[in-house]
Amino acid sequence: MLNRREFIRVAAVAGAGVVLNPGVPDGAWAAKPAPKGGPKVVMAKGGPVGRLTREAVDALGGMSAFVKKGETVIVKPNIGWDRRPEFAANTHPELVAEVVRMCLEAGAAKVKVFDRPCNDPRRCYTNSGIAPELEKIADKRLEVSYIDERRFRDVEIPGGVTIPRWSFYEDVLDADKFINLPIAKHHNAAVLTLGLKNVMGVIGKNRAVLHKKIHEYLPDLNRVVKSHLTIVDATRVLVANGPQGGSLADVKVLDTVVAGADVVSVDSVSCTLFGLGPADVRYVQLAQDAGLGVADLSRIDVKKISV
Amino acid sequence: MQNLRRASQWLVFLVFVFLFLNTEYKDNDVLAYAVNIFLRLDPLVAGAAVLAGRAVITLVWPALVVVGLTLILGRFFCGWFCPLGSVLDFTSATVFRKLKRRTQVPESWRRAKYLLLAFLFASSLFTLQFVFLLDPISIIIRSFTAAVYPAMNYVINSTLGPLYATPVAPVTEPVYGFLQRHFLAFEQPHFRMAGLIGFIFFGILAAEYFQRRFWCRNLCPLGAMLGLLGRSGIVKRRVSEPDCISCGRCERDCRMGAVEKDFFTTGRADCIDCMDCRAVCPEDAISFTGGVAAKGAGLDLSRRGVLTSLAIGAAAVPLFGSEAYRKSADPSLIRPPGALAEDEFLARCTRCGECMRVCIANGLQPSLFEAGLPGLWSPVLAPRIGYCEYNCTLCGQVCPTGAIKRLPLEEKKKVKLGLAEVDRDHCLPWKGDSECIVCEEHCPTDKKAIRLRDETVVTMYGETRSFKRPYVDEGLCVGCGICETKCPLTDRSAIFVTSRGESRADAPMLM
Repeated sequence: MLNRREFIRVAAVAGAGVVLNPGVPDGAWAAKPAPKGGPKVVMAKGGPVGRLTREAVDALGGMSAFVKKGETVIVKPNIGWDRRPEFAANTHPELVAEVVRMCLEAGAAKVKVFDRPCNDPRRCYTNSGIAPELEKIADKRLEVSYIDERRFRDVEIPGGVTIPRWSFYEDVLDADKFINLPIAKHHNAAVLTLGLKNVMGVIGKNRAVLHKKIHEYLPDLNRVVKSHLTIVDATRVLVANGPQGGSLADVKVLDTVVAGADVVSVDSVSCTLFGLGPADVRYVQLAQDAGLGVADLSRIDVKKISV
Repeated sequence: MQNLRRASQWLVFLVFVFLFLNTEYKDNDVLAYAVNIFLRLDPLVAGAAVLAGRAVITLVWPALVVVGLTLILGRFFCGWFCPLGSVLDFTSATVFRKLKRRTQVPESWRRAKYLLLAFLFASSLFTLQFVFLLDPISIIIRSFTAAVYPAMNYVINSTLGPLYATPVAPVTEPVYGFLQRHFLAFEQPHFRMAGLIGFIFFGILAAEYFQRRFWCRNLCPLGAMLGLLGRSGIVKRRVSEPDCISCGRCERDCRMGAVEKDFFTTGRADCIDCMDCRAVCPEDAISFTGGVAAKGAGLDLSRRGVLTSLAIGAAAVPLFGSEAYRKSADPSLIRPPGALAEDEFLARCTRCGECMRVCIANGLQPSLFEAGLPGLWSPVLAPRIGYCEYNCTLCGQVCPTGAIKRLPLEEKKKVKLGLAEVDRDHCLPWKGDSECIVCEEHCPTDKKAIRLRDETVVTMYGETRSFKRPYVDEGLCVGCGICETKCPLTDRSAIFVTSRGESRADAPMLM
């Protein structure tokens, strides 16, 4: 966890528009009796990354609780930037590889990994360490690919408040399961980028224009792309100058992953790692208002494990 | 021997294509092959760069090998090696296979190549380099880069691509996938002036209509240079007088028109050792061997013509030197990272297009007139088209003449190409329209050169709102232009790079 001084720094770079809110201090809400029936979120701390990831998923009932035999699964890490793993701009390669392995073990017929990066895709896939790490998994069911511009499909957003239509990646629309693997980091428009924001990697068109009202747009995008499992990589996070970073001075090692079936809850709990709460990261709150999940920390059943 | 020559042409051309296709990022920061080797073997490119650039350029040492071999073998380069020559031969053998050429190209046109060479020599001597216009290796690589290859990509992408959503996809998609992996560019390349550069190239090919090897006989200054060097070479075409029946086939079939009407005399500066005459001779009277006696034709060159060309070449220097661009540089003249000071850069740059071909974001483009007419087609970064990738050093790796220095990554990251500037009348948060931050999030410097400040704005509707407005720290900005590329506005970017503050300037940070 960050200490108070650090989260103030986060909040400061996030800008004066953010109401300073220490969220629920670590321990205080976790010590409360778990609310019955609320979404389950696992916060696992320790290492190494692969084992940490696996135990977090096991605590949720194992991958077979999410992926059934014969299903097509999208595993969507953040591969947005031409940065090496230690810079905390992309999802940790070992986390991605472990999730892929678990999907394959659960009997997935197809596991597809891709992202729509900001820098040159080849450089991002290589230098993030994700493509080389996945190359080690010799399994025909795994498909690591670059985005194919032809495969974006314009769809209506059911119940869309701010955007009635947008284009989404066909593979995601057609898949059985979508596993969302964001890395938690600072973002100047979104305050933090987490699971709900990670969905921007599977949409088409000029997505940069969405920064105009990112908090309002994100819930609408998530009405179309439903995450079945979200694992936030907080093994190391960017506390400033996100989402790209570039300086190790902005990186904080937390050795943590946060996992759960409800992307809103996972995001909400992940905010606390930065000393923030869902009220500070408006799109998380708005996602709850849109009925996409539970942001209210008091209603989330958080299980902490150490590995 | 003729078959051996054909094999050599095919092999060299395949190597040429292989290296061309590998002039691209392949998941490795350092290119695996010396993809620029054809240019470095080219004595015209090497000579002009050394002469105009007033520098010993060690990169171009392979050109000495070609000079040495030419001194022995004559103009073999054109017949056995030159990829443009091979493409011309291929054109004649396919497109114009059945053509009966009726037009007679005047013999005197052959002189043009020497006059062009003289012009290039004189202008290079006085530091202005026009070799790029006429050097065959520059022409073929530039044309492939900016026109031919993008056009091929375009054709395949626009025919096979859309079939993806049709019932024939099971057949076409594997083919398309194979082409994508082994032949197509990662993304469709786009270049300014692609049409013009392409038409010049196809014009050279089309000239085969008038004459075989029209370009090589009449215009190619590299051919002229090699002809002059190899004229008195040791290996020569020889005709055994007792065996010759004067059938005239050698004279008729010579692709270079190098055999005189007496069938014995050879235009030594034009013979490219293709050995067709040896193959067609019914009496096996022709050999290509060393020795002294062989009839060679003299050069048909008037002193007046050469002197005029030299004079024009020399005059070009003050003529272009007094153009307005020399007084006030175009602010959009943004050079690749590691580019030498402007005069030195242009003296060395052969406009081969290697840097543009390898530029990972398609940002390097042939210049229009940013650097004046003598700077035509030299590489400039056009950030609205593509940016300079912060962790990439490929352009410096491929430049054959060192016009762009090969820099280690850490040094390259410090090079300023120019500076970004926010257009505050156009930028969304500056106008009080909405939030944005896209330029800031893409800014790649270790310590962000684009910084945001929360500022209170009274919008046009009288609301008081707070926006994060971008500012550029000119000390940190390297002018990579990713902000300009990614600015989400659909018309002109609200942040743009100019050459101000570039590292090449005399006092970069004082401007």
